[in-house]
Amino acid sequence: MSAAPTAPTQPTNTGNEPPSRTVLQSLVDRTGSSLALGLTVVLLVVFVFGAIDTDNFLTPGNLRVVLRTAAFVGILATGLTFVTISGNFFLLSLNEMAMIASVSFVTFVAMGFGFVGALLAVLAIAAVVGALQGIIVGLGGNPIVVTLGAAGVLFALASAFSNNEVLPMVRPHPAEWIGSGLMLGVPAITWTFILVVIVGDLVMRFSRFGLTVTLLGANKEAGKLTGLNPLRNAIAVFAIASCTGALVGVLLSAQLSQGGVELFADAVGPGGDLTIGAIAAVMVGGTAIHGGEGSVLRSALGAVFIAAINNMMVLRGFSNGPRLLFVGLAVVLGVTVYALSRRGQS
Amino acid sequence: MTAASAQQSRPAAKRAGLLKRFLREPQLPFIAVLTVVMWVGFAITTPSYGSFNGIFALGTTLTTVGLASLGLTVAIIAGEIDLSIGTNAALSSVIVVQLSDTTGAVVAVLIGVTVSALVGAFNGFGIAKLRVSSLMFTVGMLTVLWGAARIVSGERTVTLTDFAVGDWLKTRWWIFSPTLAIVLLAVVAVAVFLRYHKYGREIYAVGGARKEAIAAGISLTRPMVISFMIAGACAGLAGALVGQRGGSASPDGLQAILLTGTTAAFVGGASIRGGRGSGFGALFGAIAVAVLSVGLSFNSTPQYLQSGWIGALLVTVVSIEILAQRLDIANTRREVLAKVSGTRVRQGPAPPADSG
Repeated sequence: MSAAPTAPTQPTNTGNEPPSRTVLQSLVDRTGSSLALGLTVVLLVVFVFGAIDTDNFLTPGNLRVVLRTAAFVGILATGLTFVTISGNFFLLSLNEMAMIASVSFVTFVAMGFGFVGALLAVLAIAAVVGALQGIIVGLGGNPIVVTLGAAGVLFALASAFSNNEVLPMVRPHPAEWIGSGLMLGVPAITWTFILVVIVGDLVMRFSRFGLTVTLLGANKEAGKLTGLNPLRNAIAVFAIASCTGALVGVLLSAQLSQGGVELFADAVGPGGDLTIGAIAAVMVGGTAIHGGEGSVLRSALGAVFIAAINNMMVLRGFSNGPRLLFVGLAVVLGVTVYALSRRGQS
Repeated sequence: MTAASAQQSRPAAKRAGLLKRFLREPQLPFIAVLTVVMWVGFAITTPSYGSFNGIFALGTTLTTVGLASLGLTVAIIAGEIDLSIGTNAALSSVIVVQLSDTTGAVVAVLIGVTVSALVGAFNGFGIAKLRVSSLMFTVGMLTVLWGAARIVSGERTVTLTDFAVGDWLKTRWWIFSPTLAIVLLAVVAVAVFLRYHKYGREIYAVGGARKEAIAAGISLTRPMVISFMIAGACAGLAGALVGQRGGSASPDGLQAILLTGTTAAFVGGASIRGGRGSGFGALFGAIAVAVLSVGLSFNSTPQYLQSGWIGALLVTVVSIEILAQRLDIANTRREVLAKVSGTRVRQGPAPPADSG
């Protein structure tokens, strides 16, 4: 005798959670998006208040400094956005890619390559390094784990190749124009940042490649069924991200007229490590980690926002520790807002 | 299925089952062999490696690698990852070193572990309640904890004023040390908890089959909080022991344990798909990584090259797992096809009445 089919029951709470928690749970669920909105408003208000209240923050000179500080992380964030939108989470080897690029660039220049030659050679190396990681990830490896391992390998290679020394560039060197040059009063590095963001955003939004990345990130199976190739896509986005890493390495070397692992070992970006800074920028910018949606422009704005907070804190005399703490809190809050806004939708 | 054909297929099924199990967990026997080979190789080529000094050095390295591996394994079993264990350990180390002079060694360690465990619980709570990726959350927390470590230490490396405080950790009982004993105790405790306690098994369920577990009524909060609390506590313990034993702690230190710990966890059989792994597997993997790391050290390999080798090991292990996964899928597909075509052939005559 088979039992009569019972109606599907709603998932009930198991009874060992205190009732107050389920009330909180349902409150969060129902007002998810408005809570997210509220938090965002609070964050913006605090930021604006800080901007006005901090002496010397809203001066043109200082704002230029903010943009220049944001440039490195912003360029990385642009490349990283491609990886994240494609559904491949993050690339943890960006900082180390910059190390390799820095060491290689300085070596190529010393060997007599001009700026263009050295840059192209470095970008070629970056594309290969990125593609290798992309192959393993595309075949099924977890991006975090693979790029974490790759970061270790790249760090070793960069250190070994440079003998763990700082390699100086004899001045005048072919990269000086971009390292310390100004155009219309704005540093060349900042212009590079702006250019990279514009190109990246246009490619992401309007090119066929960008649409491929978005579709595969949103729904890999659907993408495969329409004939797209996730492996090739993974290779492409990892190569792009690695190239932005290499570009940052070249730019920093040009700026400091030296190359080496040490330049990236300290707290260069506001979040400390450049990779962490780029990840923070992408997340604060609201690009979804599960892929399929996001924006290069928002990631760049995220980088600027974090650089602005960092700058504000420097102006107010905060030391390194509290600055790190606040940047971390900004990321955690950004993640919270994102998660809450997603809940309100379901 | 007749009794005769059932008897025929039973040894075949057993063989297929063993092969399947070996394919699914090719790691542990392979890793054990690899570890022994590595150890023998280093012992032959490097003078003091095989001596008691060498094994003692292994035990010392196992403090960080073993505890990081253990904590990360639990988080990975739960289907998540904890990127903040490095800075969590650094925070604990600066707290412990600064407190040791006033509260004594053991109490300081307990306080450090508790702080890190609470941080871990916060991680788990946030991830569970917000239903957000642990990747995102722990990246933010990584930075928060780094900042906290710098604040607590006053932006500098802190040292013990009374170095005798750390002496209890430096005693040697044959090849063992108190730190090694503590690490082994932690491994046993976590392994037993994971396998035999209801909440431990819950972690496997939530990692390996999350949707089903939630549908079955398991609240996500408890296993998340517990697993991240264990991860945090392991990180805190590692930081505390390293700080006290070395006599100093830097807020920027210990970040490398993320790479070594992750490598050890994966070498030891934790699967990124979740639901797979064990406390003793974590120890296995940690021993393998420690053997490699200490072997390289004894050969005067600089620190940066060591991270290169460990990174290469991680990528290799991941690639092997991908290969094994694809082989497994291919084999399963073949089995299913065989079964399907097999039963089609046998469906001619009516099935006998002995099957129930």
